[in-house]
Amino acid sequence: MSGRPAPPPAFEDALTGQRVDFGLLRRLLGWLKPEGRPLALSGLLVLVTAFFQVILPVILSVVVIDHLLLGERNPAAPDLGLIALTEHLAAVTGLSPLILACALYAVCQLAIGFAGHGHRMLLIGAVVAALARLREAVFQKLLRQPAAFWDKVSVGRVTTRVTNDVEALYELLRSLGTFLGEFVPFFVALGIMLTADVPLTLALLAFAPLLGGLSLAFRRAMRAVYRRARESLSWLNQQMQENLAGLSVVQLYGRERENLARYQETNGQNRRDETRALALETLYGALTDSLSNLALALTLFLGARALGAEPSTVTLGTVVLFTRYIDLLFQPLAALGEQYNLLFRAMASGERIFQALDWPRLHEEPASPAALPPRLVGGLTFKDLRFAYDPATPILKGLSFTVAPRSTLAIVGPTGSGKSTLIRLLSRLYPVTPGQLFIDGVDVTAIHSRELRKRIGVVLQDFHVFAGTVLDNITLGDPAITREAAEAAAATVGADAFIEALPEGFDTVLAERGRNLSQGQRQLLAFARVLATDPEILVLDEATASIDSETEAAIQTALKRLRTDRTTVIIAHRLATIVDADQVLVLVNGEQEALGPLDTVLAASPTYARMHRLQFEEPALEGGDLEGEA
Amino acid sequence: MPSPSRGSPITPTFSVGARRGSLRRLLPWVARHKGWVGYSLLAFAGARLLEASVPLFLAEAIDLLAAGNWDVRGPVLGIAGAVLARLFVVSSARVAIRRAAVNVAFDLRRALFDRLQRQGLAFFGRHTVGDMMTRAVSDIGVVRRLVSVGTIFLVILTYATTIGFAAMFYLAPELAWMVFPPLPVIAVYALFAARSMRAASEATQATLGHVTERAQETFGGIRTLQAMAREPFVEARFREANDAYRAAFLHQARINSLMTAIMPSLAAVGTLIVLGYGGALVQAGALTPGKLVAFFAYVAMVIQPMRSAGTLVNMVQRGRVSAERLFDILDLPDEIDDQGARGGESGSAAPPVAGALAFQNVTARYGATRAAALSNLTLHIKPGEVIAIMGPVGAGKSTLLALLPRLLDPDAGQLTLDNTPLPAWSLGALRRAIALVPQDAFLFADDLGANLSYDDPEREEALILDAAEAAAFRQTVDRLPDGLDTRVGERGLTLSGGQRQRATLTRGLVRQAPVLLLDDCFAAVDTHTEAQILDGLFKARAGKTTLFVTHRSATAQRADRIIVLEDGLLRAAGTHEKLLAQGGWYARLAKRQGTA
Repeated sequence: MSGRPAPPPAFEDALTGQRVDFGLLRRLLGWLKPEGRPLALSGLLVLVTAFFQVILPVILSVVVIDHLLLGERNPAAPDLGLIALTEHLAAVTGLSPLILACALYAVCQLAIGFAGHGHRMLLIGAVVAALARLREAVFQKLLRQPAAFWDKVSVGRVTTRVTNDVEALYELLRSLGTFLGEFVPFFVALGIMLTADVPLTLALLAFAPLLGGLSLAFRRAMRAVYRRARESLSWLNQQMQENLAGLSVVQLYGRERENLARYQETNGQNRRDETRALALETLYGALTDSLSNLALALTLFLGARALGAEPSTVTLGTVVLFTRYIDLLFQPLAALGEQYNLLFRAMASGERIFQALDWPRLHEEPASPAALPPRLVGGLTFKDLRFAYDPATPILKGLSFTVAPRSTLAIVGPTGSGKSTLIRLLSRLYPVTPGQLFIDGVDVTAIHSRELRKRIGVVLQDFHVFAGTVLDNITLGDPAITREAAEAAAATVGADAFIEALPEGFDTVLAERGRNLSQGQRQLLAFARVLATDPEILVLDEATASIDSETEAAIQTALKRLRTDRTTVIIAHRLATIVDADQVLVLVNGEQEALGPLDTVLAASPTYARMHRLQFEEPALEGGDLEGEA
Repeated sequence: MPSPSRGSPITPTFSVGARRGSLRRLLPWVARHKGWVGYSLLAFAGARLLEASVPLFLAEAIDLLAAGNWDVRGPVLGIAGAVLARLFVVSSARVAIRRAAVNVAFDLRRALFDRLQRQGLAFFGRHTVGDMMTRAVSDIGVVRRLVSVGTIFLVILTYATTIGFAAMFYLAPELAWMVFPPLPVIAVYALFAARSMRAASEATQATLGHVTERAQETFGGIRTLQAMAREPFVEARFREANDAYRAAFLHQARINSLMTAIMPSLAAVGTLIVLGYGGALVQAGALTPGKLVAFFAYVAMVIQPMRSAGTLVNMVQRGRVSAERLFDILDLPDEIDDQGARGGESGSAAPPVAGALAFQNVTARYGATRAAALSNLTLHIKPGEVIAIMGPVGAGKSTLLALLPRLLDPDAGQLTLDNTPLPAWSLGALRRAIALVPQDAFLFADDLGANLSYDDPEREEALILDAAEAAAFRQTVDRLPDGLDTRVGERGLTLSGGQRQRATLTRGLVRQAPVLLLDDCFAAVDTHTEAQILDGLFKARAGKTTLFVTHRSATAQRADRIIVLEDGLLRAAGTHEKLLAQGGWYARLAKRQGTA
């Protein structure tokens, strides 16, 4: 147990997404493939939106200002047939052309609104669907990671992959779509501007690299600053969390003042980081705002020069048109930096997610699993069973023995002797080498793990409560277990009394992590949960925690009933359990120190003899020889 | 929404009633940084004025052009100047208000940390650490945003509206009146949209919370699931939560997207009025084209901030709730008062503590509404006595120990140390005199050495190693890669339960306190090691008071006296033999454990 190995490198957050990996991006986009149709439609709607976005300024400047108000016309500036349309409508309806131009403007505005809405919803729907699938795939993958994986990782960090990391990808995919939506009008507007007046357009375009470059440079600088701010904030929160979790210790050891000072140090660091980040961010925001206004000044200035030239190439409407296009032109450029940042942030998450999806299946299943009879007899054979998590430190060093069908084997031994590993190997939670472990003569490696685990019922020390009712927690949603069977299992282990005393009996919803259950009740429920599946072989890790005598008696009774008619392997901590066993295995450092009926073991195993004395006999007997051994 | 029994993860546990004062109570916190705030309010006004001058220059330029005057250098320079000036003014204004907000967050964090450190077992019996973390992280974040972004919104809304209308009335009063009618519609829609946005976003958060819970519960129970081949159980549940989240997310996105579609359409009404009526005015010669274009800019200036009115209202509402949740904590008194004088602050000059303890009709509970954890307990312990405390789960054993170093104060009755009531001791001296090793083997994310000598970071290493020796932890330390400098806890080396328990035991022993309290410190240590530790301990502590909680009668027999608690009541006290003879809980336990 001691010194668990560090998490595998595969699970470290060492992946920082320092560069944009196009392979990763392509893979991510691959998840969008099933949404091809809505995405295509969404793309079409972008074009529609862009079209109307570009038309609005044309109505204002070319139709209203030039044509209707000033009676001028720049032959180069395209009116897209809007002047003719307005005049035609005026002729048909008899209304003033100005009012009709307003109506056209309104129609375009509504079209932008609703085509845009359609585009966004289709895009978001597709992205969200793809991510839901991705999330489920990661969940499925994790669910099937072998026990050795779960020994090394923290539940919190794994959960983050399923939630936050997938979440981070949303921003990326969504903004990629929006980004396209912004660049289409950019190019259309550019086209119209070029037809209207080339030199003026080129002059404005000169701002583009400036804005784009500025945006990228700022965002890059901000990324580093923000990372520092995030780090100091997370450190700050961690300090608070830890101080609260260990508050009793803090108080008992009089560390309040010191810890506040340390917290303040981080708090100050965070304030410095945040201040730096906000200064940079603010400056950037103000700069981009100002640039489009500066471009406005430039347009006016150049426009005036063009208007004054003889012969004049532009009209006043053209100049106004240009001033209205400035935002269409500059918005996507300003967004470039934001995109860049999102891309980086998402890269790290994407990397973590695909890394999880790429984990090899460490758990090998037999190519053609052995067919088991409907009911096993339940004989176990161990042939030189060896196991090591890490080759340098073997845990089990060659165990050979048999357990007769329907008998009970109690395993005892000091912490770290390999007891838990032994029982986990039985249901192949860790990989077993072929030829070492047999059930009814069948090598366990030839049995599919799912089949095997249906035949071997494992009662773990701690009863994990899933959100739901008592009944849900006994059946674990297994359709093969009827309500009657679950209730009968509860009755057999003597859990029915306390369950029926709950407000809604078997339908009582258990509180978070079973807070409303006592230690003993949890143990009984754990028995019921396993008994309900009626396994041929029962494996039990007896709880070490002490419980009151009444519950203790109930548990021993339940255990007796559980053991009838099946082979049982128990990691035993209680004398009563050991006394009832047919065989006792004393395991020391992964080796068998003694095996046999209790009397034999008591005589043959010094370890067991000492444990027995310490636990069950008068202290007077132990005094002297302990000193010698220590 | 699945499983109605589980609320959203961020559920305020205090009253959420409309206590309106909480926003006003934020004012002093903001006022501490009034320099930044005041400057920013002034500068924002200046920035708005500069901004408002741009359309005027634009109008001038266009009208010059329309009149056939091609020299527009004046207005162009005017725009350029206004833009550059605004750049500096607005940047400094934003930086100032954000700095103020960061400072408010800084102050609040410190106050919260300090206040929470003065709470104790009773408080944390009612509230979870997670709840407190939510306050420290999200609630302070919300308040910070309210101070910075909220102020900016409010300032923009006020200034832009005032200045925008002033400019419009200056340009063309008859046209300016026409802009008013659509404004209330926009404001009302903004409020409505903000409200539905808020509900939708809460639903999204809640469903995301379910997804997280499902994942956590699955990975937490992965051993059960795999051992019983019941993966399908959680698969279906996860899928359900995942789908619900997707639906809620889409719903939120729809509201958001509709708002994006409808708002500009509503705003376009204003633009259209200006275009239609203004166009007619231009045709009639009552308005210049330049003024018409400038008018457009002012309409946008007035309407733009209206759109965010809803967001502002949401922000204020959320800010009020968050501020309330923060003041709920900041208003708490110290859970344990420290008025006593005995023992002094430093304790250096204090006379030695003998270690006589007395409980006089003590009743204790975790929070006024809870059942008593200990009722009417009277007990006298002589200096140097070794006492074992036993009893079933929930009998009050840990409570009895927690009362001595005043992690918890009794509801009724009195406790004394060396015949001085505990509150008459200074808290520091009391806790130096009474060392408690709690049941929960908690280690901080720090070096092992810092953890073991937590009360005194400067303690000599030899002393720490001696204590480790006594706690049977020395071997483990020696085998660690960096010895006492090995980092443990979060992101450090993971110690096993038994190792952690011996580490916390070392942390208690190293203080060599006159009174030592061990709260079930051997549960994860095997019986052999336990016996070895106790042998050394009793020898070293001869003549010093020691109380320990245990579940093993073999261990309990080594005490001078065994105390049996049941349901918060003192049921029996005496030697092993005496208790056996009496029968009852202890005798049954001893029989079952084979020590009778």
